[in-house]
Formats: sequence, C-alpha cells, structure tokens
Amino acid sequence: MNKNNRLKGDYLKSVNTAAIGSIFLSSVLSFSVMANIPEESPKELLQTVPATAQVCLSCHGVDGEGLGIAGPRLAGLSSEYIADQVSHFQTGKRQNPTMMAMAMTVQGDNIKVVSDFFAAKPVADIKLQYRGDKVVITDIGEKLAFQGDWDRDIPACTSCHGPSGIGAGQFPRLAGQEPTYLKNQLLAWQSGARTGDADNMMGSIAKKLTAAEIDALTQYFSAQK
Amino acid sequence: MKLYYFSAVGVLLSMGLSASELPDRQAQLPSVAKDANAQYIMPSDLSTIPEGEFGDKVRKGYQLFVNSQQMRDTYVGNELNCVNCHMNAGNKANASPLWGAYMAYPAYRKKNDKVNSYEERIQGCFTYSMNGTAPESGSESLVAISAYSYWLAMSGLMNQFNVAGPVPEMSDTDLLKGGNREDFPLPKAITSKLDQKALTMLPGRGFPKLEKPELAYSIERGKLVYLAHCQACHGEGGQGVKMAEVSALPPLWGPQTYNWGAGMHRVNTAANFIYENMPLGKSIQLTVQQAWDVAAFVNAHERPQDPRYKGNVAETQAKYHQHEGFYGKPSAADPSVILGSKSYPIFPASK
Repeated sequence: MNKNNRLKGDYLKSVNTAAIGSIFLSSVLSFSVMANIPEESPKELLQTVPATAQVCLSCHGVDGEGLGIAGPRLAGLSSEYIADQVSHFQTGKRQNPTMMAMAMTVQGDNIKVVSDFFAAKPVADIKLQYRGDKVVITDIGEKLAFQGDWDRDIPACTSCHGPSGIGAGQFPRLAGQEPTYLKNQLLAWQSGARTGDADNMMGSIAKKLTAAEIDALTQYFSAQK
Repeated sequence: MKLYYFSAVGVLLSMGLSASELPDRQAQLPSVAKDANAQYIMPSDLSTIPEGEFGDKVRKGYQLFVNSQQMRDTYVGNELNCVNCHMNAGNKANASPLWGAYMAYPAYRKKNDKVNSYEERIQGCFTYSMNGTAPESGSESLVAISAYSYWLAMSGLMNQFNVAGPVPEMSDTDLLKGGNREDFPLPKAITSKLDQKALTMLPGRGFPKLEKPELAYSIERGKLVYLAHCQACHGEGGQGVKMAEVSALPPLWGPQTYNWGAGMHRVNTAANFIYENMPLGKSIQLTVQQAWDVAAFVNAHERPQDPRYKGNVAETQAKYHQHEGFYGKPSAADPSVILGSKSYPIFPASK
C-alpha cells in the first residue's frame, strides 16, 4: 500500500466512523434533525418520507441536501443514477463500508422508491455557465471543466456533465456537491476502487488527472451553488 | 488563375441553381487512411487571440462553434453543436478540424463543376448538419466562424514553421474565401516548405478513412454495439441527454439531429468518425467491424428530411443518394417503413 492509499484509507475510516456514529446518534437526535424543517411536524415528516428511505436521512439529510463530510448531496441526482449507485455498493463496484452495509438494507422495488424520493428533492437554481461563455480560462479546474485537455484526450467535463456540471441521467450533478466527496470519488476512479460506468469512461479520464487538477476540479464544481 | 476561372463559373452556376435547387454542399469528405507518423499542426492557445476587432471575430467564432445552440431558431434547427462532431472546438486532428477545412477551400468540385468558397461550405453545415437555414453570405456568424478557422490554421502553420509574431489580420471578404487561393497571404517560411496543394491536404484533415469491415456491415450487430457502448450518452432511442432544456449530449437520430442531406448520414463517414473519435475520451477502441456496424445502425433510423427533397423519396434517393446510406431503404426500427417517407421537418421551431 503506497502512502496515498494509506492516507486515503485512514481518511475513509474516519469518515465511516463519523457516519456510523451519526446513524446511532440519529435515533437519539432525531428531534434536532427534524428541527431543520420547522414547517413540518415530526409526524408529518415520517409520513412523507418512505420508510425505506429513513435510514438514509441521518447522513444525507432530510431533503437529501447532504450533511457535509458525513454524506454527499443526493438532491439533484437522477433516480436512475441513484438506483445504479445503490446496486454498485451492493455488488462492490463502489467501496465504502458504511454505504455497502446501508445499501444492503434497500432491496427490490425499494431501490426505486428511495431513488425517486431523493431525485425529486429540489436544488437551488444556479446561474449556468455554458461552454464558450468564457474564451480564456485561467483556473485549471474551470479550464478542464469547459475545454478539457485534448493533448491527453481529456474531454471537457461539461460535455457529459452539462453546463456548470448540473448533470442528468447517468451523469451525476457535480455542481454544489460536497468537496471532500468529489475529491474522494475522483481518487477512487483513479485507483480503480470505483467502477460501474460504461466502458470505464470516468476511470480512464481520472487516471490522467494530476493531484493538483483533482483539487482544482473539486474546488470549481463544489463552488457552483 | 485556373481557380478564378472556376470560381466565376461557380458563381454563375449557383445563381442559376439557387432559385430551384439547393446545391450539394455535403460532398463526401476526402478521407485518407491515418498515418501513424503524421505531424499535425498545433494552433495557438485561445489566450493568444489578439485584443481588438479582428480578435473579437475569432473569439465569436469559437463561441458559436462550442455553443451553437445560441443560434437555435435563427440558423440552427436541431439540438446539435458544431463541437459534437469537431472535437476540441474544431481543433482536433482527425475530427474534421477547422484548420484542415479552411486551407482546402475554395474547392472545385467536378460533380457540379463549381467552386465552393469556405463560407459556402459552412452554409452547407447549417443547411444539412444543423438542419437549419444558412446565414446570409457575409453575415456576422459566417465571418466569425471563418475568422476562427483562419486563426487556427494560420497560427498552427506559423507555429510549425517557427514564424514569430501575431496572426496577420484579414478583411471579412477575404476571410470568407478560405485559404486555398493563389493570393492567400502566407509567410515565405511556410510556402517554401508546403505548396498550395500540400496545404489543402494537411495531415489530420477530415476523418481518417477506415478500412472495409471483414463482414458486410449489419444493423442487427450494430444495435448490440450501440446498446453496449453508445446509449449511456446518446440514449436508448438515440435522443441524447438534455440538461437544463438543452441537449448536453447529442441526439443521433429522430427530429433533433442532422438531416438526410448531412455528410454524417453516410455509413462510411460515420464509421470513419466513430472509429477515430468515439466513445468520447476513447476509454476503449471499437473494432473496425463494430464501427461500421454501429454506424449502419445509427444511420438506419429516420431523421429530418433531405432539404433537396421535392415530394418523392425515390427521386431524391436516385438523384442524391448514390452512396452508402439508408435513405430510401427500410428502417432499422420498422423494416416496413422506407426511410425518408416519415422524415421529420426541416428547420422546425424549438418550441
């Protein structure tokens, strides 16, 4: 195990500990979670959240808005994409001990119920940036996002993830996503720990990115909110 | 000298034709087999486009090229962007780069004994590939796309032959003509190495010609290739993927893509393109057979009508489709339907 992998492993372990901790705490602290949405009583909330999605809320937030380092934002992702990821965690195409365990609790038709529930959650409108809006781009993350680097066969991120990285279908929304999560995913694609897309498109691109580029991309897309 | 003669004839011919017939401006691209040792010209970075009026036109051309949807309903009638087929903003060798095309026009074509200017070639893209309506000759959009193409070609050539200094500015009238003319101003350092003919055939121009497949191409096998390798981006029904009301990933058949007159509807052109450039980012390489099969599958679907159609599919097929394509032949989706008979409208409104 090289140094980077070890560091990553340690980091993941600490995230997992935090996440597992927060799941246990959530039953105790459910009042404080629900207090985030004062317009609904706890009773109403329980009625609107499908039972099978309850387990997700403590890390991903009651509106799938993401709870920082504990869990990425699910709002803004397509139902199709969320369902695929649940199945990827179940089959080991994605590696995260907490999510691998949690994903096993959602089976059969419930996968679609959970996916539809989070996919329907709104995200704030952002001002969209299209390819060509800027001709000269100095930030290396923004430049990769809108122009790619064709000397290395890297297409612009936005050619698949859409303007400002808002995503759709099998292409996840990157705009406004939790930065540590974005970074970890690029690293996971790069190391091969994450798979499951068509023809390893994303893994092939991630392998070409430098550490500085991964940081810059993380910064650029997470700031689009 | 000869070129001028043809060009004068061409103007007269096109005037005669314009009222009744659309000129065929989607001639098959002159593709040659890829040369592994070819050296491609490397145009300068966009940040070196000069300030000022000329530079503004170049920048505008770049912007129209990568976000062609800003011309939807004015000149563009589908959900495509130029950059969908011309990778890296028209800069990538073997993806029909603008620099290669620019230096090859004006071009004489035997078929109609006519010389097409670069501007006319771009107009053809709007009529056919973009299923739209061509901007007027000399219009701002055509000047901008020509300026951008010229800038890529000239900066690339200057870089290759170590010519210092900025890309020389050029009048709108001259920009629209293209680079294949005796009076096209080029530094000696370039003309002493490449003659006019060599400049029209810069390595990397067009899509490299793919060898023939071992088996005759098959729509059925192509469907399997499509489902395995293409549908993630282009959709199960070839409809592409929309984001914020705009197709981020391009539709390949149906009402929102290139029409039956576009070069890409030819199986060989699509196979050449696909083998070299798809899937985007090239995480895998399709085999020669897969590229032909999937090109056939994609192009055996209904799409917007050929703008030269005058009410009869068989006549249009006989007159304009004597090449590798499926116009006038059975549809992949429903073999009882003849392609062209249920075509989608030309230049439809977006809403």
